[in-house]
Amino acid sequence: MNPLDSISAAIRTVLHDAGREVKAIAPETLLAADLGLDSLDLAQTIVLLERSLGVDPFRAAAPATAPWPAIRTVSDLVTIYTAALRARTLP
Amino acid sequence: MTTAANASTIAHLADAPAADRLASAIALVARQFPQRTAIVAAAGGDSRRVIDYATLAAAVSKLEHELAAIRPVGVVARARRVESLVVIAAACGREHVPVAFLAEDARDLVGELSDWVTLDDALALPAAAAAGPRREFETVAPQVVVATSGTSGPPKLVDHSWDSLLAAARLAEQWHGRGWLLVYDATRWAGLQVWIQALLTAGRLVVPASRDPDLVARACVEEEVSILPATPTLLRRLMASGEPAVVGRMPLDRITLGGEAADARLLEQAAALFPAAKIGHVYATTELGEVFRVTDGRAGFPAEWIGRQLPGGARLSMRRDGELLVQLSRDTAEVATGDLVEQRGDRFEFTGRRSDVIVVGGAKVFPKRVEEILRAVPGVVDARVYGLPSAITGELVAAEIVIHEPLPAGATPDQVRAAALAVCRERLEPHSVPRLIDFVKKLATTAAGKIPRR
Repeated sequence: MNPLDSISAAIRTVLHDAGREVKAIAPETLLAADLGLDSLDLAQTIVLLERSLGVDPFRAAAPATAPWPAIRTVSDLVTIYTAALRARTLP
Repeated sequence: MTTAANASTIAHLADAPAADRLASAIALVARQFPQRTAIVAAAGGDSRRVIDYATLAAAVSKLEHELAAIRPVGVVARARRVESLVVIAAACGREHVPVAFLAEDARDLVGELSDWVTLDDALALPAAAAAGPRREFETVAPQVVVATSGTSGPPKLVDHSWDSLLAAARLAEQWHGRGWLLVYDATRWAGLQVWIQALLTAGRLVVPASRDPDLVARACVEEEVSILPATPTLLRRLMASGEPAVVGRMPLDRITLGGEAADARLLEQAAALFPAAKIGHVYATTELGEVFRVTDGRAGFPAEWIGRQLPGGARLSMRRDGELLVQLSRDTAEVATGDLVEQRGDRFEFTGRRSDVIVVGGAKVFPKRVEEILRAVPGVVDARVYGLPSAITGELVAAEIVIHEPLPAGATPDQVRAAALAVCRERLEPHSVPRLIDFVKKLATTAAGKIPRR
């Protein structure tokens, strides 16, 4: 399952809530530079995705010492959520 | 209402030892007006029951005799019916047996009272209690044990004397024979204050069958309730969601708010809806009891109260970070209340509980302030703001909103949401703007009738 649609929808909601222009969202789109998302916007995106996808990969049982994943592009989010969704469906 | 006959005798109650007063008051009214209604339980519901003073007095007297024979170390009141709680309290007071009231969420604390006997609605002392250790109370003041509501942490037991429990009770004639609404949990400090006050003054305690706004409003009308003690959250819900025709007929002449800060908007709305009522708010905690009450119809309290001794003897001060400190009397320690205040003109207003503060990326958000802004948005009835855990920013501000049903013609929930966000963006720092807004039918409230924050 590719979470790109859910991620795009969440980002659109964030931009819409903030009264900002909703731009085209593609995998290579840069979250900060292209979309203007700050850390609060990202936190909101993650909360919205927890609702739509049922997972929060950033709060899950990742060891505290694990490196913070790079989140620069929409595609980075897709990778992170794809892994989290796959981990959830494993027995 | 024929209260004049017993006015002087009720006033004399203040001369009796505090622990005896509740039983004495009930016996006194039972002698003069045996058929007078003491309690209307499950009012407005199918299982409405009426308990008169004679019945109540007989039950108190019976339990008194049993307690005198057995003398347990203490009694844990586990009853669900208000009338049973009243009987247990009155009989224990008279017999100088300590009594504990444990609300639902404090039941785990019963372990701390392991050698006390438990009384439920059957009011039957267990036979085994007779073999229990006896204790004499010549030097130790009889105690009343109450659990805190746990709004800002796990519930804990607090010891009180009957003197402190009755300190705020009003015995003057203007309070006699009135109808009191009990929307609070009867086992908590606020609830105890209401039913003790009602029964000390030959009043009629009306306990609605539920907190459903329509039912509460109807019970007030049908049972002629004139005094409404409530949290701002409960009053707001009653005014916004109760059937207007019924709410408008509630014969209230006094509304006493407590448990949470009352904001100016709520006070104004209540004054408009109940023009005949005196509206005040009480500042009290389970630990401190009543500290002060404000009756000028405005939010907060006069700025000159800080640093000065109040008529009740308490002294208020403020810590540098805005936390309200209370010293009850000269020989007691100053207590940090956990409530934050801020000076606005000639008033100090409450900005929230220290523990309610939401920290977003290191910046503080006071949920009460956000709620006040949301409640002023057209179409919004009520709002609750809380912190949502976030791995990125620690917490994130989230809100639940109740909207008018139906909305004015042409308006949609999405428009209300957009308007709410626009107002928040305009009036709040970016980190204080709610990032998640849900529409709900009604807000969750705690057992104490307050807004939960987490």
